[in-house]
Amino acid sequence: MAVVKSVKRKGNSKIAKSFKQNWQLYIFLLPAITYFFVFHYIPMYGIQIAFKDYYANLGMFGSPLVGFEHFERFFDSYYFWRLLKNTLILNAYNLLLFPLPIIFALSLNELRNGAFKKWSQTLTYAPHFISVVVVVGMLVAFLDPNTGLINHVVRLFGMEPIHFLTSPEWFRHIFVWSGQWQSLGWGTIIYLAALAGVNPELHEAAKVDGATRFQRIIHINIPTILPTIIILFILNIGNFMQIGFEKVLLMQNNLNSETSDIIQTFVYETGLLEGQYSFAAAIGLFESLINIVLLVTVNQIARKVSNNSLW
Amino acid sequence: MKLKSFLTVFFLMVVVVFALSACNSEKTDTDETENETEASDVNKTGMPIVEDSLDLNFFAYKPAQNEDNDWNDILVWNHYRDMTNINVNWDLVSLDALEEKRNLALGGGQLPDAFYLSQVPNSDLLRYGQQGVFIPLNDLIAEYAPNLTKLMEENPTIKEALTFPDGNIYSMPSLIEEDFLSLRLSARPWVNEAWLKELNMDIPETTGEYYEYLKAVKELDPVGGGKTIPYGGTDIQELVQWLSGSYGVMNRGPSNGANIDVDPSDESKVRFYATSDEYKKLLQYINKLYEEQLIDQSIFSIEWGQFLANASNNLYGSMIFYDPIELFGEEIGSQYNSLAALEGEDGHQQYNKISSPVWATSNLVITEENPSPEATVRWMDHFYSDEGAELYYMGVEGETFENVDGEKQYMDHILNPEGDMTFEQALAKQLTWLGSINGIIKADYFQGGESAPQSMAAAEKIEPFAADEIWPRFTFTEEENKVLQSAGQDISKYTEEMRDKFITGKADFSEWDQYVETIESMNFDEFLNVYQQAYDRYQEN
Repeated sequence: MAVVKSVKRKGNSKIAKSFKQNWQLYIFLLPAITYFFVFHYIPMYGIQIAFKDYYANLGMFGSPLVGFEHFERFFDSYYFWRLLKNTLILNAYNLLLFPLPIIFALSLNELRNGAFKKWSQTLTYAPHFISVVVVVGMLVAFLDPNTGLINHVVRLFGMEPIHFLTSPEWFRHIFVWSGQWQSLGWGTIIYLAALAGVNPELHEAAKVDGATRFQRIIHINIPTILPTIIILFILNIGNFMQIGFEKVLLMQNNLNSETSDIIQTFVYETGLLEGQYSFAAAIGLFESLINIVLLVTVNQIARKVSNNSLW
Repeated sequence: MKLKSFLTVFFLMVVVVFALSACNSEKTDTDETENETEASDVNKTGMPIVEDSLDLNFFAYKPAQNEDNDWNDILVWNHYRDMTNINVNWDLVSLDALEEKRNLALGGGQLPDAFYLSQVPNSDLLRYGQQGVFIPLNDLIAEYAPNLTKLMEENPTIKEALTFPDGNIYSMPSLIEEDFLSLRLSARPWVNEAWLKELNMDIPETTGEYYEYLKAVKELDPVGGGKTIPYGGTDIQELVQWLSGSYGVMNRGPSNGANIDVDPSDESKVRFYATSDEYKKLLQYINKLYEEQLIDQSIFSIEWGQFLANASNNLYGSMIFYDPIELFGEEIGSQYNSLAALEGEDGHQQYNKISSPVWATSNLVITEENPSPEATVRWMDHFYSDEGAELYYMGVEGETFENVDGEKQYMDHILNPEGDMTFEQALAKQLTWLGSINGIIKADYFQGGESAPQSMAAAEKIEPFAADEIWPRFTFTEEENKVLQSAGQDISKYTEEMRDKFITGKADFSEWDQYVETIESMNFDEFLNVYQQAYDRYQEN
């Protein structure tokens, strides 16, 4: 990162010189640039349909221009505020659990028993490989009010069975925690790699000074992996608003839609199922705008506070 | 130097990419003029349809039950090709890709000659019809589709369902014979007669008796351990639609799906019944059933598979579903007897959950690319005749079916296939109708779950209560579609959500006034006006 910054500040001739010196490196960059250009920049011309009334046979360029009509329709929609609120809360809730894999990685790192460590790692990785549809199927089976395992336990305690899947108040918890169950182990991988890079001499020195294990974690391990944490956090923010929408859609029903109705499921229902591509594109664009604003803000803050940032 | 050449390469790349995409779009208009058939080459009556063989490219939706067959080489289509001299090249698309591929076909300029069973929505028929992509068929149908014309004369609803406000018809429909009620019912109500007998009760005929029965089943608990489910289904909507006839709402059938029916006090006006007192009473009744746990408590989240498993374990006292014997076998299935319409508190007793004879508008849509729309219309029209229905649903005599005591029956290799093959799999080897309605479907030329004895008996019982008039799906102008897509969608979503909340008791009926007010604030007048206009047009035609 530092290299890129320093290059920027030097003049044109310097850039040319750097090209000349390192042209092999730039060749290596070329495939990546091509990929982004072809698959991520060129398709952006499609954004224009958000401002048009899209007719498939007239094409993107030929369709009549309607300006902000689709945006207005979305903002005027009865469900706009609910959609926005649900999307933000669900994502924020999900983000709130960001520290869990870190804590888990730190604990795993402290384990001395190799076999147990491997065993628990494998055990927590496994759910990552289950497909969303299957996970939701499992949720439906376990949480069923009549036949579900959880409700059998609830009944054992003499309580009324809980309608987990049809209660708006339960939706967010089920969604976020089942997601966490799936991704917790997988999420630790990068942190464990970062922890492997901690200088053992620091720990030895700290031991000599009489630091407890907990103190060593706080003062050695965490500061070492802090840059990783911050970068991953910013990357997570970049995916904010893009929570796994298939899962939401599969878990959604009329009774929990008060909390489960999010922008993406709305786009899917009105845009794709009803063939209103322009409207869907407009909402998608709006979502991306929120995303960019968040990303830039968090990045700025991170840079100010910790000197770590994406750019 | 190096920089320059790098930039050159980069720009070259950009140019190449754009050139490639330009190439792609130019390719389309080269092969337009070949293969034009003069209308005079098309025989107006009899077979073959064309003297010189004609090739047509059809874009078609292929239902999942046909997964293993190839329509380009299968008995039914080969037979029809030899008959008509028209060779159809099928471009087959599965349901999950249908929408996308159809739009790509429309957008990429690679238009097929026709879209077959492709579920083109009415709004798209109009959009692309007005663009000239789909051609108007009014004159062609009058001239080349005697069978469909005859059906339209017999039943004006068909024409009304097809005609857009601009007066044009852009598609040929999928029809169900009006008297083939069993097929128009889809899922129908059943009650467990074995349990009725055990309880010493008669088949319920009023909503009160039905409630008593469900309650008695709950107390009797024939399954044991409190596992008995008095009423179960795959979806609460089925129950609401069935009971609508007992409360006098949805009096013109479910096809339009927007809680619109006709005002009982003034038949020239449409009514939004989801805010009516009758509808409130209906919800209160279902709410009572739900609160007393007479309705499966997991009905709002149940999956199809779970429902089938429960039914196969004989847990249900009553349900709304398809033929029980066909689905759950003789032992469990034969315990069920059918219910008709229940008489409600205010004396309403009608059966409204019936689909329109116009099952879908877009069975066949012809595009501007088509070399011979006349021949294509004739090709489709054959399926509106008895011979066509026989060919499509029964196949060829001696190959797939035979006459047994004057009734057409599939041959043994289909009914009792060898090895592990099921009936459907054996059928799909020669015929393609599974999962679709093509042309017209008639009771005399159909052998499937809906024509099984139990289901036919149910339809017979329901018939006296069937609503006199069932609306087809209305057609709208583009302006009207815009209202429906914004206000209409908000209103539908809200009423559906609130319906389920009222039923489960999550919303109390004291909030009813507020619910009505909320709907009225959602651009409601404009929405209702759209339906009023559509209804006016429907009546004029």
